[in-house]
Amino acid sequence: MSNKFRKNPNLKPLLQKIKNDVAALDGKALPLKFMEVCGTHTVSILKYGFRHYFKDSIKFLSGPGCPVCVTSAQDVDKIIYLARQGHHIVTFGDLIKVPGSYSSLEKEIAKGATVDVVYSPLDALNIARNTSKEVIFIAIGFETTIPVIAGLVLDAYAQQINNISILCLVKTMPNVLRFLLSELQGEIDGMIMPGHVSVIIGSEPYEFIPREYRIPCTVAGFEPVDLGLGIQSLVSQIQTNSPTVDNRYTRMVKPEGNRAAKELISSVFQECDVPWRGFGTIPKSGLCLNEEFSSFDSEKRFHIKVKDEVVQSACICGDIIAGRKSPLDCTLFRKKCTPENPIGPCMVSFEGACAAYYKYGE
Amino acid sequence: MGNNTILLSHGSGGRQSKELLDLIYRTLSHVVINHGEDSGVFHADDGKAAITTDSYTIDPIFFPGGNIGKLAICGTTNDLAMVGAIPKLITLSLMIEEGFGFVDLKKILISIRDETKKGNISIIAGDTKIVSRGKMDKIFINTAGFGEIITNTAISSHNAMPDDAVIITGDIGDHGAAIMAFRNGFESSLKSDCANVAPLIKALLEQGVIIHALRDPTRGGLASILNEIASASNVNIVLEEEKLPIKESVSGVCDALGIDPLYMACEGRAVIICPQDETDKVLKILHNEPLGSNAQIIGRVAERSDEPKLYLRTFIGAKRILPLLSREQTPRIC
Repeated sequence: MSNKFRKNPNLKPLLQKIKNDVAALDGKALPLKFMEVCGTHTVSILKYGFRHYFKDSIKFLSGPGCPVCVTSAQDVDKIIYLARQGHHIVTFGDLIKVPGSYSSLEKEIAKGATVDVVYSPLDALNIARNTSKEVIFIAIGFETTIPVIAGLVLDAYAQQINNISILCLVKTMPNVLRFLLSELQGEIDGMIMPGHVSVIIGSEPYEFIPREYRIPCTVAGFEPVDLGLGIQSLVSQIQTNSPTVDNRYTRMVKPEGNRAAKELISSVFQECDVPWRGFGTIPKSGLCLNEEFSSFDSEKRFHIKVKDEVVQSACICGDIIAGRKSPLDCTLFRKKCTPENPIGPCMVSFEGACAAYYKYGE
Repeated sequence: MGNNTILLSHGSGGRQSKELLDLIYRTLSHVVINHGEDSGVFHADDGKAAITTDSYTIDPIFFPGGNIGKLAICGTTNDLAMVGAIPKLITLSLMIEEGFGFVDLKKILISIRDETKKGNISIIAGDTKIVSRGKMDKIFINTAGFGEIITNTAISSHNAMPDDAVIITGDIGDHGAAIMAFRNGFESSLKSDCANVAPLIKALLEQGVIIHALRDPTRGGLASILNEIASASNVNIVLEEEKLPIKESVSGVCDALGIDPLYMACEGRAVIICPQDETDKVLKILHNEPLGSNAQIIGRVAERSDEPKLYLRTFIGAKRILPLLSREQTPRIC
C-alpha cells in the first residue's frame, strides 16, 4: 500500500485536531461511541493503534461485518452434515475452525472429510470438473464476495457442470443495520460504513440512517489516513448536528456503487430472510438463488437434517457483533477461548473482533 | 545419464549411484574437500568454534531470488554468524524423490557451489538418499555448519541491555512475501532476500564493534525473534513503525493476503542489538556493504521487565503490543 496513506506528515496533526475537537464538544457524553461495521476496520483500528490513541475520546464498537462471525451455529451444522455425507466441500479458509453445535470442519477433516480451501469461488469449478463427487461451495460473505459467487453459478450453468452446488449463506448489509439500529437507538454516536461492501452497493443505501435515526455516517477506507478522515467527518457532523452519509473513500466508492456487479448479483439471487448468529432471523437480510438457478442450491439438492437446539455457552459473540459488548467483557476471552482453540467464531476469523483483540495485544 | 530423472537405483550404491555422485562432485569440485572418505577430517585451531544444523524443505524449491540449494547454504551460514562465528565448513545431505529431474538437481548444485565459493566455505562431508515417489516432496536438504568464533565478548539473546539500539541490516519480509506472491500467482517484482550475512557480521566484529545480541529473523519474522530476545533478556523492546524498512510491494502482498510483514521470514537479514554509542560505527560499516546498504535503526531496548513485551509505536504515535503469534501465517517457506 502506498506510503502516502501511512507515513503521511498530515496524519498526526489531523488526529490531534480530532482529539481536541472531541474534547471541546458541548453536551456530549465522552467517550463517543462509534461503530465500525466491517471486520477489516476493526483490524485497522487495532493494528494502527486508533483504539489506544483515542481511548478517552472515542470508543470503537465492532459491528456485524465479519462474514464468518455472523454465520449461525445451525448453518455450520449444515456444512458438517454435508461433509459427513461424503460430499466434496469447498470453502474459504476462515470457516474451517468455526465450531457448530457439535463439531467443526477441522475436526471432520481429521476424520477423513474431503475439504478444499480456496481463495476464489471460481476455483470450485475446476475441482468439480475433476471429480465425480458432488462438490459443494460454502457461499458465505457480504456484497463484496457475492458477485464472484454469482459468477461461479453462471459459469457452472453455462458450462453444464452439474455436480456442483452452493450452500447459500450469504448476507447483505442494509437491513441488518436497520435491525441493529432499532435495537441500539441512542447508544451510538456515529457509524463507519463497510468500505469493501460500499464499493459494490455504493453509499446511497445508507441514507436512511441519518434520515431516520439521526446518526452520522461515513464511508471510509482502511489506511490510517482513510480512517482519520472518516473519524474527522463523524466528529464534524456531531459538531454541527447535521448527520449525513459522508463518503471519504471516493477513490473506491461511488454513490451508486458498481452497477455491473449489482446486476450480476440480481441475475442470480433474490432477497430472503436469513439467520444471523446472535440476532436470530432478520427479514430480507440475505440472498438465496432465484428460481432459474435453484437447481444449484445444495439445500434443494440434498435433504439436510440439523437440529434447532440452542447451544448453551458463555460465548458473547452475538453481543460483540451487535456492538453491545467488547471482547474484553467476555469471561472466556484469552482464557478458554484462544485462536488455537476458539469457542466462538469471533475468535476464528482474521477479521473477527476477538481474534483482532487477541492478536493486537489488547 | 541415459535417463533425465532420478531413479531409485541412483541410490542403490551401484553404477548408477556413481553417476549421481559424479554429477555432484563434478559440479561442486572446487568446494568439496576430503573427496571419497567416509568422514571429513580437518585441523582444529585453538579458540572457540560453533556448530549448527538445519533442514530445508521449502515449497516451491525454485523461487524468485533463489532456490532450496542457496537457502540451504545461507540459512546455515547465517545461524553460525549469529553467534559471531565465521563459517568455514559445511556438510551437505540431499534427500531426493524418485523422478526428480537432473536438470533441476544441477541448478540446485550450481547455487550451492556459487554460494559456498563466495563465502569461502568448504563442503567437508555429504550424503545422498533417494526416496520412493510420493514418500517425500521433490528434494529436502540438510546442512550442518562449522565456524570459528572471532569475538571475545559473548553474543546472546540474553544480553540485550536497557537503552540498546535495535538495528536491522535491510528491508523486512522480502523472502516470505516473495514466496507467498509466487505461490498465489501474483505478478510481482519481489525477490527473496536469501543471502549469506556472515561477511557483514565479520566486518562488524573485525572492526571491534560491541554487539550484545544478534539474530536472523527467519521463521516467525522480526516480531517473533524480538519477542524471544525480550524474554531471554527480561527487557521491553519498542519498535518505531515509521522507521521499519518495508518495501511497498511487500506490504501490498501482505495486505492482499491478510498477513503481517513483521511476522514474515527474512533469509538474508540480521537484527543487531548494540549499545547506542556503537550505532554510528555499525551503520557506517553496514552501509559500505551492498547487503547492508539499507540498514536502519528501527527501535530501542526499553526498561527491564518481569513480563517482557515487544511494543510497536504505530504511524499515528500509539503504542501497541506485538505478541508472539499463535497460528503460523506461512507454512513451509524455509
